Amino acid sequence: MTMPKMTKVALFAVSILVSGIAFAGGDAEAGKAASATCAACHGADGNSTIPTNPKLAGQYESYLLQALKAYKSGERQNAIMSGFASALTEQQMADLAAYFSSQESTLQTVLER
Amino acid sequence: MNLTITGLQRRLITLVAVVLLMATAPFVQAGDADAGKQKAYTCLGCHGVLHYVNTYPTYHVPKLGGQHKEYLIAALKAYRSKTRAHGTMQANADLLTDEDIEDIAEYFASQGDK
Repeated sequence: MTMPKMTKVALFAVSILVSGIAFAGGDAEAGKAASATCAACHGADGNSTIPTNPKLAGQYESYLLQALKAYKSGERQNAIMSGFASALTEQQMADLAAYFSSQESTLQTVLER
Repeated sequence: MNLTITGLQRRLITLVAVVLLMATAPFVQAGDADAGKQKAYTCLGCHGVLHYVNTYPTYHVPKLGGQHKEYLIAALKAYRSKTRAHGTMQANADLLTDEDIEDIAEYFASQGDK
């Protein structure tokens, strides 16, 4: 293997790693911009006041992302959420999850006592 | 003694039954947080551990304290009827009566960080 080819391979590997890390994060600012649709039912900051709609604020980011993916794939069924989620890209879902999980919340883990 | 039930008596019995059902319904539906605390013991094995992670796929098990009661009831009933996927949650919800679900939901809803 010549050096230039090794360099190309190395660059390729690094670019995949970097994009993976960037994707995993989710951008809360971008998520906020995309969250207007969610606000009507889940509250502007994800503190839903409608009892049938879950509070999203302060929920785990990875759980929110998992929920959106499940709505999009049809694994989780809900006429309203499936409609919204099907229009979202993976990056938008990650951004929304990052935004809502970062909001002030009354949610907490109930610890064993 | 005449043991046959007349039409009027049947209507009266029905009326009494309906009134009794209506009177007790609010208590049945309210959910009992104290009973829920006992029944939620199993839940805490996963939901009571900070940053506990589900595997395959990997994501954090959701926080339930302070979540809306109505949403929690709907979620548990969806698992019980197998309309929401998750093997462990389906198996656990399968064991619950409507009253259990109301109690557990009441308990978690009452445990928010206020």
